[in-house]
Amino acid sequence: MKKKHFQVVVIGAGPAGMAAAITAAKAGLKTIVIDDQRSIGGQVYRSIQANSDTPPQYLGNSYYAGTKLSEDFACCGASYLPGCTVWQITETHEIALVYSGKAELITAEYIVIATGAIERPMPVRGWTLPGVMSVGGAQTLLKQSALGADDAVFVGSGPLLYLTAWQYIKAGMAVRAVIDITGTTQWRSAFPFAPLALIQPNMLLMGQKWLREIRQKTKIITNVKEVEIKGQSCAEAVSYTLSSGTKIDLPASHVFLHQGVVPNVNLSMATGLDHRWDQKAFCWRPVTDTKGKSSDEQIYITGDGSGIGGAKAAEISGRLAARAIMKRFGKFNFLKELYYKLRYLHCLSIRPFLDRLYLPPVHFRLPQSNDTIICRCEALTKSDIFDALASGATGPNQLKAFCRAGMGRCQGRNCGLIVQEMIAVHTSQSMAETGYYRLRPPVKPITLAELASLEGPWPE
Amino acid sequence: MKAAVKSNFDAIIAGAGLIGLSIGYGLSRRGMSVLILDGEDTAIRAARGNFGLVWVQGKGAYFPPYADWTMRSSELWPKLTDELQEIDGPEIGLHQDGGLTICLSEAEMQKRFEKLDHLRAHQNGRFRFEMLDRATLKDIMPGIGPQVVGAAYCAHDGHVNPLYLMRALQNGVVKNGGVCISNTPVQDICKSGTSIRVCTKDGDFECQRLVLAAGLANATLAPKVGLRQSLRPQKGQIVVTEKLEQQLPLPTLLLRQTDEGGLMIGDSHEDTGFETSVTPDVVSGIANRALATLPGLADVGVVRSWAALRVMSKDGYPIYDQSETMSGAFAVSCHSGVTLSAAHALDLASYIAEGRLGQELDGFSQRRFNV
Amino acid sequence: MFKTTTSQSGRAVHLSFEGEVIAAFDGDNVAAALLRVGKLQFRTAAKNDGRGPYCMMGVCFECLVEIDGKPNQQACQIIIRDGMQIRRQQAPNITSEL
Repeated sequence: MKKKHFQVVVIGAGPAGMAAAITAAKAGLKTIVIDDQRSIGGQVYRSIQANSDTPPQYLGNSYYAGTKLSEDFACCGASYLPGCTVWQITETHEIALVYSGKAELITAEYIVIATGAIERPMPVRGWTLPGVMSVGGAQTLLKQSALGADDAVFVGSGPLLYLTAWQYIKAGMAVRAVIDITGTTQWRSAFPFAPLALIQPNMLLMGQKWLREIRQKTKIITNVKEVEIKGQSCAEAVSYTLSSGTKIDLPASHVFLHQGVVPNVNLSMATGLDHRWDQKAFCWRPVTDTKGKSSDEQIYITGDGSGIGGAKAAEISGRLAARAIMKRFGKFNFLKELYYKLRYLHCLSIRPFLDRLYLPPVHFRLPQSNDTIICRCEALTKSDIFDALASGATGPNQLKAFCRAGMGRCQGRNCGLIVQEMIAVHTSQSMAETGYYRLRPPVKPITLAELASLEGPWPE
Repeated sequence: MKAAVKSNFDAIIAGAGLIGLSIGYGLSRRGMSVLILDGEDTAIRAARGNFGLVWVQGKGAYFPPYADWTMRSSELWPKLTDELQEIDGPEIGLHQDGGLTICLSEAEMQKRFEKLDHLRAHQNGRFRFEMLDRATLKDIMPGIGPQVVGAAYCAHDGHVNPLYLMRALQNGVVKNGGVCISNTPVQDICKSGTSIRVCTKDGDFECQRLVLAAGLANATLAPKVGLRQSLRPQKGQIVVTEKLEQQLPLPTLLLRQTDEGGLMIGDSHEDTGFETSVTPDVVSGIANRALATLPGLADVGVVRSWAALRVMSKDGYPIYDQSETMSGAFAVSCHSGVTLSAAHALDLASYIAEGRLGQELDGFSQRRFNV
Repeated sequence: MFKTTTSQSGRAVHLSFEGEVIAAFDGDNVAAALLRVGKLQFRTAAKNDGRGPYCMMGVCFECLVEIDGKPNQQACQIIIRDGMQIRRQQAPNITSEL
């Protein structure tokens, strides 16, 4: 079968992917956007088209900032393939995908990876109990399915925690409490970057507004040093310990956890691109130039997938990547490029402040109880990981070989950062020295029949 | 990581793959003080990409010393397993209930028969096998597809979890007082009086016996002890599925089910140099053959695939050598690290301890390529 | 208990979950439809440990269910169809668990 060929293949239809596609398609490049979700928007603008018809106000203005982008995308001329899984990018820039149960290879001159962010794991005891979800998950239910829960407890830190709690309140839900785990001393490390953050006063003001309006309806509990979720077969209570030592049980059948987002690097790592450990943002990020070009000349990485910057920054970085690609086709507009570069820097000005303020404290990044599950897929606890470390595993890949951590369906998305930090602490190495799981295709599981449908020859 | 380690050992092993750990375990169980130096976490590693067969059928059909050595190892496997369990190691999941090579055409059946029959003829009845027709095979594996013609069955075959085997061997080394250090590849080797000095980034160590078991890196290490090992990488790609209830009563050359439930499906033989990329057409072909064998696996999810490099000599058989210029130095290279683990731990280690390779290993010297 | 935040319209369709008939809104994904009626546990991991939807974006694989006999389906990624038969995904019964 002849492989379909595109000048630009964009993976992901969030703000970065949509913006890259709009720019590339408008410049006349043959462009396709592939997305594993069934409608455009990514996570931040999830279900934006459906919600724009009869907009629920509780989602807030920042969400509807995606309306214009989605409208531009709909008429930009790029092809769009929703509900499609990309499971590999080969060394020759073939993209292996599965669509409607069938595998296919397409070829690309340039690839734009815009796979966004995932939430940083938050391994508190009981985080696997049904009824416990990530805050991102709770917010997706609100955006996509108009679903909310009464009497939920929100636990964690970071802008998405407050935004979602605020949206819940605006949607008329009773929120039992917001438990804020932000360390009390983090203001000190964040403070020097406050003047830079002031370049974006509306972001800061918006945050203040969320907090004010949350406080009007529920309590925000601070100075918390430990959190545990209790329950037999489902979540029944959140138990938290204040720094004073007081332990309080709060009944709750819905608990939403969040401690920030990190770039979703599974595809870019499995593709073999260079990555570096960002100690400030405490996450892996692909090595890119200022316009998103990765260690592979033909692959660009944009948006939160290359470093967390939020929806606005993602959109602009998508445009910058597309412009860099246009330039390589001989289409260059100096002023426009400068304009987007400046806007990009403007958007990022608040990040150093936020990264420092909301870096989760180490005792929330690492599990505190021996029976806390770390690798959700293989149901491995903290003591299982320690057993493997005690028997001599010194790196994530050896640890994987010793106890199967990270070998399940999620390919380490749930446990990778926790395991890496546990090893780093155990071996007194830095996070960068410790490294990460070596990731392999398929980036997401596909069935044997789907894989076989490529009709490769039988092995000898 | 720097560990406070003494600098003198009876034996040092370069490489903590299956070969290095097997020999290291074997030396340590004889009371020798052993240091095993391992490479980096992301180094090229055949042992972590292994399929896990303890396989006899067909091995050495045209090279009798290899057939004998493989059979010997297969017979030693229960003993090794018992020992590793006794010293409180992890369960390694050894099953030696036989293995199958499933044939999807009459031509495959015929070819298989000829190879195994040749092996039987040269093994004086020690090697046994049976060709199963479709009906007999269907009794054992009811799910076989319409294309399946039959299979070769060999009672000597089996399988094991290669990752837990490594962990168990390492546990054994440590329990016997040995030391394993990661991220410390051997940089240089020289004589130091009557001892051998091994230099690493973490310092120098001295020993009476040195075993090079560094996989493909043996090609560059062997000259440092006056030996030569001509090696080439041969790529094999493997696909792994999610966990399933028991599907396979016996391992086959293509499919093996682990004790945890996942199916491993392999594998390819590609001469593509030192790269370890997974290629969609090859893994798709592997999936294709698996579905022709067992069509019921169609909706099973593939969770991982990988490629690893086999350590191949020119003729594909192991190389065992000892240095004439540096007394006490040995080099071992082979791709059957799982199957031969028992022979390496129990027999080869004894030879190395005594300082002289046994005569059944004479045919495995690199010198065989000089004629 | 989850509840609908807006006057949700949409055609009503019917699913079955573990044999129980469930009314759902057309267009919902499987996870949302089940959460809407208070079903929180979707699968059983090893050691009989119950799990339910966590990330709702297809990366955690905690919401796996069996749909019309097909195992390991991501409930948060699949849109419901009238008459869908859904069962909890059970961890495979592995006799020789290590």
